[in-house]
Amino acid sequence: MKNRALALMAVALLLGSAANGQRDPEDDNVSVLQTRIDARDLGYPPVDVIPDGESGITSLSVAPNGNLYGATSGKRSHLFVLIPRHGYVQPLGIIPGATAVTNAVVVSAAGYVYIGTAPEGHLLKYAPRDEFHQKIQIGSPLLVTDLGQAVPGESIFALTLDRQADTVYGLTSPNTHFFEYSITRGKFTDRGVVAKKIPQGEKFEKDKMMSRMLVADPKGNVFASGEDGAIFRFNHETEKLEELGIHAPGIPGREPWTRVDAFLLDPSGIIYGGTSDGYLFRLDPEKLAVTNLGKPLINYRIAGLVRGSNGKLYGAGGGKDDMARLFSYDPISGAYEVPGFVDVNRRPYYSWRAYVIGAMASDDYGTVYIGEDERISKLYLFYPWP
Amino acid sequence: MHAIIKGAIRTLLLLMPAVLTFSGAALSQTVTVQYRFFDGLAQMDGNWAALKAASDGKVYAGLAYHGGGGHLVFYDSKNDKMVDVGDLTRLCGEDGLNLGPQSKIHAKFGEGKDGRIYFSTHGGMWWEYARFATPEGYPGAHYMAYDPRTAHVQDFGIGPRYEGVNTGAYDPKFNRIYGLTHPRAHFVYYDVTTGAKVDKGRINNFESICRTLGIDDEGNVYGSFGAGRVFKYDPRTDDIRELSVQLPIRPKGISLGRDYNKSETAWRVVVWDQEARKFYGVDESASILFSFDPHAGPDGEVQRLGQLSIPDLADSRKVPYATLSLTLGPDRKLYYAAAGKEFDYSGSAGLAASHLITYDLRSGKTRDLGEMRVPDGRPVIGTNAADMGPDGTLYFVGAITVEAKAGEQNYGGKIGDIPFRLALFIYYPKAD
Repeated sequence: MKNRALALMAVALLLGSAANGQRDPEDDNVSVLQTRIDARDLGYPPVDVIPDGESGITSLSVAPNGNLYGATSGKRSHLFVLIPRHGYVQPLGIIPGATAVTNAVVVSAAGYVYIGTAPEGHLLKYAPRDEFHQKIQIGSPLLVTDLGQAVPGESIFALTLDRQADTVYGLTSPNTHFFEYSITRGKFTDRGVVAKKIPQGEKFEKDKMMSRMLVADPKGNVFASGEDGAIFRFNHETEKLEELGIHAPGIPGREPWTRVDAFLLDPSGIIYGGTSDGYLFRLDPEKLAVTNLGKPLINYRIAGLVRGSNGKLYGAGGGKDDMARLFSYDPISGAYEVPGFVDVNRRPYYSWRAYVIGAMASDDYGTVYIGEDERISKLYLFYPWP
Repeated sequence: MHAIIKGAIRTLLLLMPAVLTFSGAALSQTVTVQYRFFDGLAQMDGNWAALKAASDGKVYAGLAYHGGGGHLVFYDSKNDKMVDVGDLTRLCGEDGLNLGPQSKIHAKFGEGKDGRIYFSTHGGMWWEYARFATPEGYPGAHYMAYDPRTAHVQDFGIGPRYEGVNTGAYDPKFNRIYGLTHPRAHFVYYDVTTGAKVDKGRINNFESICRTLGIDDEGNVYGSFGAGRVFKYDPRTDDIRELSVQLPIRPKGISLGRDYNKSETAWRVVVWDQEARKFYGVDESASILFSFDPHAGPDGEVQRLGQLSIPDLADSRKVPYATLSLTLGPDRKLYYAAAGKEFDYSGSAGLAASHLITYDLRSGKTRDLGEMRVPDGRPVIGTNAADMGPDGTLYFVGAITVEAKAGEQNYGGKIGDIPFRLALFIYYPKAD
């Protein structure tokens, strides 16, 4: 008993300061290597910055010209751009009628930015106009063209875009409609739903299950998950929404609550996905086969999934109550690595750790963008090893 | 009696070198404080902020025990008796579950209109967050109330999941327990009347969570964040607003060579003065004393009033990280126990005597009353909580050195090789 008490005391001596809410030098050992990560405020603080409570990054998308567009959720939603040449975040304005934009910013081949809003459920078009020379003015509305409400009474929950077909696809909430918007024809089409009923659960659980992202394969087929983790495909040829009879992986019995959190189209044509239970999987869009690649972390959720310039996949795990960690997956060796917490320690200038990740993207320069989704949020720039 | 005298002499001889070492000047001015150990709880290893001198004469303290259950205790000042209310893990109904224990009350208590003492619990060890949100990890802070009439603790259940309440305050006006969580720095509250548990989201980074929430006479809640900034929570709108006022903090960069662990960008402690309707506070970096008038204009007004560090250290880069030991007396004086060296129990930078510093709000004069010492001459090596009793008695919780006894856990930790034990310190300003 005495030895146990002394041992505890010794540990307390070593870790006491961490226990008191201060940064311990050991914290760097469980975080991403500090020469590989940095963070950006969402604007120019303290005035020209997206306000706290409106800064949760829930959408990121890289344009054909390499610019990163992002949208936030909170009391109001903002659109921002990061031009890699300049490297800072430039707020562009308040997105009309939106308090949430969730994996719902896509950029067409022509460079137009399409934004799916919640709760109003409108699809908006933003035309970039020499952004670098625009003045930042927080509070100004974003100048957009309102393309209309995708599905009456529904919010837009996720978007993807087939750049070749110039078609935007989306999912709506709460009733999981899959819709398409033809940019050339300017027309919405409701293609059906991916979940018909609220899954079994506690009385407070009211959500129908659908994927938090969509992905289009090289042939223009679009994939989603729906009821019981079932994988759905919108068949570009037949223009039908199909339940494929394959499912996102999970522990038997947990299917009713399984979602695909993140999708990624690999240049090989293979689709990778991450689930709400934290499984990574491979979906072969030709063979329509799902392979469970296991769990990179003990956490729930795969809150983002991107491809690094080194060929590895990078993702972040952890839900709203958790502490997010970054992981990598090497498709060649099948090996996982865990770089650690998404944390930037540049004291005395700034330091910040992300606990909840809302979106990820990567560009051709090799930068992995990680968007934090909290009351106060930063954009993280992670530079994978070559 | 013979054995007691022998023991006292042995203690004195053992501690003599240390006493001389951490008396900067052998003949420096001293102020004598009484002390009471927490009987049966020698292994308790820290106390931060958790001290309340209630209206009925009971003085409540939360004692930390890293790796085990902390304890809620009170000192019955009328009967000169220390009472252990119990192990916090047990009081939370979590004993035997092998979860991360309820190791602390790490925030201020509050006294309700119903006479109950309200508080929140906190975890102790975080294991570099490797066990965060795991089945074996810390389950989360409980909101609780102790009723002195029935000696019963009511558990309102877990508030923030997996997180502790690092900083807190109770507001009797709105009957709410407020908190800032560790590690994710969320602003949370429990509405005792309605039972609502609310999370208003993140307010800061984990290493710079301010350690005191201030509540004004209208029930607005204030904290500091970022680089010396102040936020305001208004319970009428249920909204957080970031104010434009700026706290006086020492420029960043100076402190980092001294201690990696301290962010030093926030206020360390504030106290409300109902007479002036202002807060008085001390910043983390250099113990800079300031006033914050929340009613002056839409964003309030901050004024630098002076510095409450030990005068010889005031301009030094060695000025210790501020303590949480600030309180306001009925004599219109602020009382502050300034550390002689960075004090954080086992994480202290070394041994040094604390000084008792006063700031007279009427004259604006600061006075160093000298090294705080207990009657046998041992110095108070640090404190991190202070409160003023209704009769004007001043209380602190901190530590003094003790002699380690073979085969017995009679101390809470060590600073270097010197064992220390937690104690309640008592000072009577009128008698001085």
